Amino acid sequence: MSAVHAPTHDHGHDDHHAHKPSGIMRWVASTNHKDIGTMYLWFSFAMFLVGGVMALIIRSELFQPGLQIVKPEFFNSMTTYHGLIMVFGAIMPAFVGFANWLIPMQIGAPDMAFPRMNNLSFWLLPPAALLLIAAQFAPGGGAGVGWTLYAPLSTQAGPAMDLTIFAIHILGMSSIMGSINIITTILNMRAPGMGLMKMPLFCWTWLITAYLLVAVMPVLAGAVTMTLTDRHFGTHFFNAAGGGDPVLYQHIFWFFGHPEVYIIAIPAFGVVSQVIPAFSRKPLFGYASMVYATASIAILSFMVWAHHMYTAGMPVEAQLYFMYATVLIAIPTGVKVFNWVATMWKGSLTFETPMLFALGFLFLFTLGGFTGLVLSIVPVDIQLHDTYYVVAHFHYVMVAGALFSAFAGIYFWLPKWTGRMYNETLGKWHFWLSLVFFNVTFFVQHFLGLAGMPRRIPDYSLQFAEFNMISSIGAFGFGLSQLLFLYIVIKCITSGEKAADRQWEGADSLEWTHLPSPAPWHSFETPPVVK
Amino acid sequence: MSKEPVFESILEHDGAGFTYFRRHASSLDLRLLAMVFGSLAAFSVVIAAGFAMAGAWLIIPFAGVEIAALGTAACMILRRAGDFERLAFSGDRILIEVRERGLARQFEFHRSWARLVTGETGSVALRSHGRTVEIGRYCCAEGRRALALELRGRLDGRRV
Repeated sequence: MSAVHAPTHDHGHDDHHAHKPSGIMRWVASTNHKDIGTMYLWFSFAMFLVGGVMALIIRSELFQPGLQIVKPEFFNSMTTYHGLIMVFGAIMPAFVGFANWLIPMQIGAPDMAFPRMNNLSFWLLPPAALLLIAAQFAPGGGAGVGWTLYAPLSTQAGPAMDLTIFAIHILGMSSIMGSINIITTILNMRAPGMGLMKMPLFCWTWLITAYLLVAVMPVLAGAVTMTLTDRHFGTHFFNAAGGGDPVLYQHIFWFFGHPEVYIIAIPAFGVVSQVIPAFSRKPLFGYASMVYATASIAILSFMVWAHHMYTAGMPVEAQLYFMYATVLIAIPTGVKVFNWVATMWKGSLTFETPMLFALGFLFLFTLGGFTGLVLSIVPVDIQLHDTYYVVAHFHYVMVAGALFSAFAGIYFWLPKWTGRMYNETLGKWHFWLSLVFFNVTFFVQHFLGLAGMPRRIPDYSLQFAEFNMISSIGAFGFGLSQLLFLYIVIKCITSGEKAADRQWEGADSLEWTHLPSPAPWHSFETPPVVK
Repeated sequence: MSKEPVFESILEHDGAGFTYFRRHASSLDLRLLAMVFGSLAAFSVVIAAGFAMAGAWLIIPFAGVEIAALGTAACMILRRAGDFERLAFSGDRILIEVRERGLARQFEFHRSWARLVTGETGSVALRSHGRTVEIGRYCCAEGRRALALELRGRLDGRRV
């Protein structure tokens, strides 16, 4: 898309903010939504690198059959913390970063409703991340229990488990405060005329996500607290020997865990719903149906948790219910995919990096959703449960879904955030390398799973050797491609060309139409009137 | 979409005098807030109670704390939602009405005694007989400057 040089907006009233705080205290004590959003995004990228290194350790060990590089206990620890760090440290904070940057600007608000609480919700993250990393150095090493922290493994693990539980509590507190802030900001701080059904879809998706977070976080907090009391205070919630029930833990965890998938996916839907119309130069097709479909997905996400545990034992009626309920999610998801495609239909399409990542998301997330449907079928799932098919499925949802959408969003809003343009050629290289290496890594894992390779094992049968080798090569390629992304972002910030106020001519939300690039430190002190 | 003209929105002149009125920017819809809070609270209670019946009662305190936190946040924005400030010149009298966090206060100054006080941060206040009332808190810096200019003119007697 050609850059559009919109007239520079008059922001004389922001002059008094030209002297913004500087030095470390600007960041430590910041109550500015843009600064806090920036910190969230950098933090999530740092965690993405830490979790990525863990993934590469896993793939290095799996490059060949046999035990070559790490001990099995360490391997198990890597699978655990790779999952925890990627979910709670990388992807979730990345979308909270987007929320911080964008929600106030998109609804015409000067900041979040509770700026000090916003600061606190961010600054809770680094100690939690340190605890997760420190767990590796606890006596006995990291807890090799999987990111699901299933009992009785978790009740018997070493001291690292306590650090992990503490970290999860802190991350949960941060999420709750962030969610309360987002809900109150959207309900209370919209500009005059900005009705709920006029909000950009990204705001809607975050309102629904925040609702989900508030609903399920106590469940996770309760689950890990009961694990803690089982470990140290003599309770027997999950200890069968004491009258407890380990399967109860699975029910509790997945009652949180399945909505958690949508807590990650729904903001990704929001980002893509901003990017695709902008590069199709058409309004989003079926705005209202997108809102209702998102809400339907959120509601259904509470009703399907036990499809993760068909093999744990449940009555056939329950299996049937959870199977049908899970299949039902395909309907609102299908509405969304249809609407994205219909938005592009007969649009004046161009394929800059954000659009490429959005299309990559659309294609691969649909594939991930489809394998999810396969796994929802009880007899199939009983065969594929805990195999690499499941690993492939959720990486198509989490990486190709959430991460690709996050990349799309970063390339899309980088000109607005920094006032500078990234290198389009390098951006496209980043996309194609990520797309190819992602599929090299994870597509073959479907075959491994179908052939029966279990997940979370450091060694495997010789029959799986070739596909594992291909997957490991893909993983290293994917990991190295992300260093290119870091280079692109740094180059953009330091020496990118000046971006136009409305860099993408098809972008029509307030941050593009009413604010200059870069967005001033304080924006919308006088609310715009939306007509 | 259009930008609201700053000056017109802040200063209102009528034939008889001058009135300034500004309220806390709020899009709060009480019914919507009640619906969001009520449904979330009810849903959390149902979830926590369900798991408690299965033996996992430790979810209840976390759900309680969270509902309380959300309720507190809702109360805080509700208290702020009706806040406003009004300043009116009526002959030689200056009437100021301020509602802050639900608490309404009224002040009456005589124009000959009132002094305009502007702070380094751009704040605007009127002072008289030891009482200082800050106004213009819901304006942007540009709006406060305009307000200060207007008030200075009226206090000096250049404008009536």
